[in-house]
Amino acid sequence: MTPSDARLPILAGVAVIAGQAAALFAPPDQVQGELVRLMYVHVPAAWVAYLSFAITLGASGSWLWRRGPGADRVAAASAELGVFFTGLAITLGSIWGKPTWGVWWTWDPRLVTTALMFFVYLGYLALRRAIVDPVARARRCAVFGVAAFAQVPVVHMSVLWWRTLHQPPTILRPGDPTIDHAMLAALLINLVAFTLVFAVLLRARVRLAAAEDALEAAADARGRELAGDAVSAPKLAGFGV
Amino acid sequence: MTTLAGAPTPLRQCVELAGKDLRAEARAGEALLVTVPFGAIGLLLVPLAVGTDTPLLREIGPGLYWVVVLLFGVLVTLRASTVDGPAQLDLLRLCGVGPGTRLAGRALANTVLLLGVQALLGPVAVVLYDPDLSGWPWLAPAALLVAGGLGVLGALADALAQGLAGRTTLGPLLVAPLAVPLLLGATQVLTAARYDRTAWPWLALMLTADLLTALAAALCAAHLEEAR
Repeated sequence: MTPSDARLPILAGVAVIAGQAAALFAPPDQVQGELVRLMYVHVPAAWVAYLSFAITLGASGSWLWRRGPGADRVAAASAELGVFFTGLAITLGSIWGKPTWGVWWTWDPRLVTTALMFFVYLGYLALRRAIVDPVARARRCAVFGVAAFAQVPVVHMSVLWWRTLHQPPTILRPGDPTIDHAMLAALLINLVAFTLVFAVLLRARVRLAAAEDALEAAADARGRELAGDAVSAPKLAGFGV
Repeated sequence: MTTLAGAPTPLRQCVELAGKDLRAEARAGEALLVTVPFGAIGLLLVPLAVGTDTPLLREIGPGLYWVVVLLFGVLVTLRASTVDGPAQLDLLRLCGVGPGTRLAGRALANTVLLLGVQALLGPVAVVLYDPDLSGWPWLAPAALLVAGGLGVLGALADALAQGLAGRTTLGPLLVAPLAVPLLLGATQVLTAARYDRTAWPWLALMLTADLLTALAAALCAAHLEEAR
């Protein structure tokens, strides 16, 4: 690892510590009390999930346009992380929902559409695992990666399109955010921290995928016959061994 | 098919391909003779699990019917009897049948078969659940939109999972989460009609989902073409 490679994880680590400190020192909510601190991990997890799927969309589009293997690796790695962070957002939301709404799960449009998004991208990962040929895998998954992104705006807008228990957007909305500014600052620090952690994980996963591809290519090359293998050296009379 | 001089239009090609799929299905009977009875068994088993309470079953019957149509309908769209082998695909390519036309032909055949599945499972649901059928004329456009949307989604999933060992398990995972607008629309149309509310918004939701799916399929078809 070069010094420049180490900068990003260090930066992410510092940001995570700062984010957690900000979350602890932020004021409690008037209604929810200390429970509101779950927001500082739940919202960034959901944001990183959106970001992951947007990167999968961009990388998938890039693969369809330029056919570079790097784009396919980025799309796959980002989708894996997106599924992880979606699962994390659902789990944290469920933990937050139990004391707030009285249930672990409710048939709320935001929850249902988020769960559907989770399953759509699980399907994407299942599709990747089912295809052996790398080019066919990249092509088919790029198509699905582009189509699947339609789910993301539906999840974000679900709280506006339908009547819902979940609160409407407080930051990504026109006008001044409807949140206390000290809380907003803590939330923004955590958003940055989660984004940096995502960048670290994405870079590591893409490198791992590149190493796996190189290993596979080397294994293929080892077993392959070379041109001229079948031709033996001429034997001259009197020099036989 | 006709000669190059009178080359058939894409629409004609699409209808011919759908006809070929339907003839293959008529010989194999995979969708209507295997999947429909399986769906009927599903409708029969649910009351045994949730309780044979007639008022409850009357209430939940339409919803269960659409869930069964959705889940078992996906199996119909992924039927093995009409899978095109590499040689058939090569022949179609040489004949000038484009990937979009092939996908549309498959979707059209799926739609026709899904309408058949709905028509056969409908009476089973009526007999088993005795649902309130006031506002039943709304079912006709709802059935058509479900069949169309699921047909296109199934054709797209089939193209994505083509040639894979686990296509019949992977396909439903790809289709089912995306088919939720169709399920919501279909169940709410009858509920709205029953309570004298307008059902148009639900039909509009389904139509929008169908159009978006068709647009995605049209845009993706060329990218799914694979050279061997």
